[in-house]
Amino acid sequence: MNCPMEHRKPETLVAYAAGELDGETAASIERHLRVCPGCRLWVAEQAALWKTLDIWEAPAVSADFDRRLYRRVAGEVRLSWWERLTRTLRPMPLRQILPLAATACLLLIASFLVQQPDQLAPPHPGAGLVRADQVERTLDDLELLRQFGAGNQVEAPHADTM
Amino acid sequence: MYRVILSCGWALIAALTAVASESTVVAEKPPAQRARNAIDRWNQMSPEERERELAKLPPERAQQIRERIRRYNQLPPWEKQALRERYQKFAQLPPEKQEIVRRSVRAFRDLPVDRRGLVREEIGRLRALPEGQRNARLSSAEFRSQFSPPERQLIRDITAYFPGQLK
Amino acid sequence: MGVAAAALDYDAELMLRVKDGDGVSFGLLLEKHRVPVIHFLYRLVQESAVAEELAQEVFLRVYRSRSSYEPTAKFTTWLFRIATHLGLNWLRDGKHERGLERLDYNSTDVPIHQISDRRASVEQQLVSDAKLAEVRLAIAALPEKQRAAVLMHKYEEMEYSQIARVLGCSESAVKSLLFRAYETLRARLAHMGR
Repeated sequence: MNCPMEHRKPETLVAYAAGELDGETAASIERHLRVCPGCRLWVAEQAALWKTLDIWEAPAVSADFDRRLYRRVAGEVRLSWWERLTRTLRPMPLRQILPLAATACLLLIASFLVQQPDQLAPPHPGAGLVRADQVERTLDDLELLRQFGAGNQVEAPHADTM
Repeated sequence: MYRVILSCGWALIAALTAVASESTVVAEKPPAQRARNAIDRWNQMSPEERERELAKLPPERAQQIRERIRRYNQLPPWEKQALRERYQKFAQLPPEKQEIVRRSVRAFRDLPVDRRGLVREEIGRLRALPEGQRNARLSSAEFRSQFSPPERQLIRDITAYFPGQLK
Repeated sequence: MGVAAAALDYDAELMLRVKDGDGVSFGLLLEKHRVPVIHFLYRLVQESAVAEELAQEVFLRVYRSRSSYEPTAKFTTWLFRIATHLGLNWLRDGKHERGLERLDYNSTDVPIHQISDRRASVEQQLVSDAKLAEVRLAIAALPEKQRAAVLMHKYEEMEYSQIARVLGCSESAVKSLLFRAYETLRARLAHMGR
């Protein structure tokens, strides 16, 4: 293979050092490294650099990150609701607003009540009993679906199974 | 009287707007997932109920099931959700088609490593094609020359029946 | 994306559900991408509180754009494009000067061979802190596009093609950016690898 440094393709060595090359290309680079001390030194230095960069770990995320974000999201929702409400009602006389307000109240009450069934009722004893062999079959199916659907490599059955 | 009704109406609207937007916030947060498969329902059973069921099996098998459930429960939420949805679609297939998917995936796992990549790529390509082009490809001489008869069968079956997307 | 190149990636599917009003899917996207985005921004701006604020803005923009979202690229490409844009803007605003002052550390102040056994752990910590400061300074000294490219390539393990789409340049430009960045970093940090 042509020397990547001499042929202005040094990024090939970056990709090799990062383990990004396919098997065949990586093998040809390895053959070249055996005979090219310049590239060999470059790759060794690059590997050392990566190891050095590894010492920089990022701190843990704050425990309240999500809560703060959702508060800001809620602020967006409230604003848009209020804006819409006042915009539609502003030019109307009061005698027209009242029946509309009453209708809006009824709709809000209805939407609030409709949301309630989304919350899970607490389980009561005996309800929804599942047999262990049913669970086992479901685990088998999930494992098949996961192994085939996830990633480009299909692991051997005993590796990373559920 | 008119003023009282009007004041009450506006107070009610204001209160309900606040409550509804709070419940929107609640809705924005990931709520508890409705139990959809046997494992979700299993997780909702009490520990006593679970152990009672497991006690009906040989101890070694019971322990394996405990371990597999623990690993499933430890999956990242987004991966669990993707799996749940894929399973839901799978469970909606008629039993004979479910069996075809099971058989095909097992056959895929038994392929030599160097063939798996090619078969997988072919399936991905086929699933992205409109039906007419897919059928044309499946009946083409090129397709027949690239894959053995068992490979062609499993490609057809997985392309047709495997639920969800392949990544 | 391999076999899924022509198919929608799952994140994009989730985002389309957010577009349809599904809050659960937004939660799932947040759960999956929160940490990589914050870590990327942290290394870009080098202040953890700022990184979290910027990350909040990233996800808020994702949420705001839900009604007009179209999956024209991978979801993570779009996400990191927003994050890079916000991070680089913050740096350009000049606020990064405050951060760099805190990083100014002369690593030759701690001769390693003089460490006594009695104070080994304290000295080791000082040495470790010094090394870390050098790495951070070296990255901070890179031109902004090189910095962003290195962070995405090294720490987020993104592919050249995706980095190119995030930065709005060609793949060959990204490879060139990375090569020059790594050359600079190697020259500056070579003594640490010994």
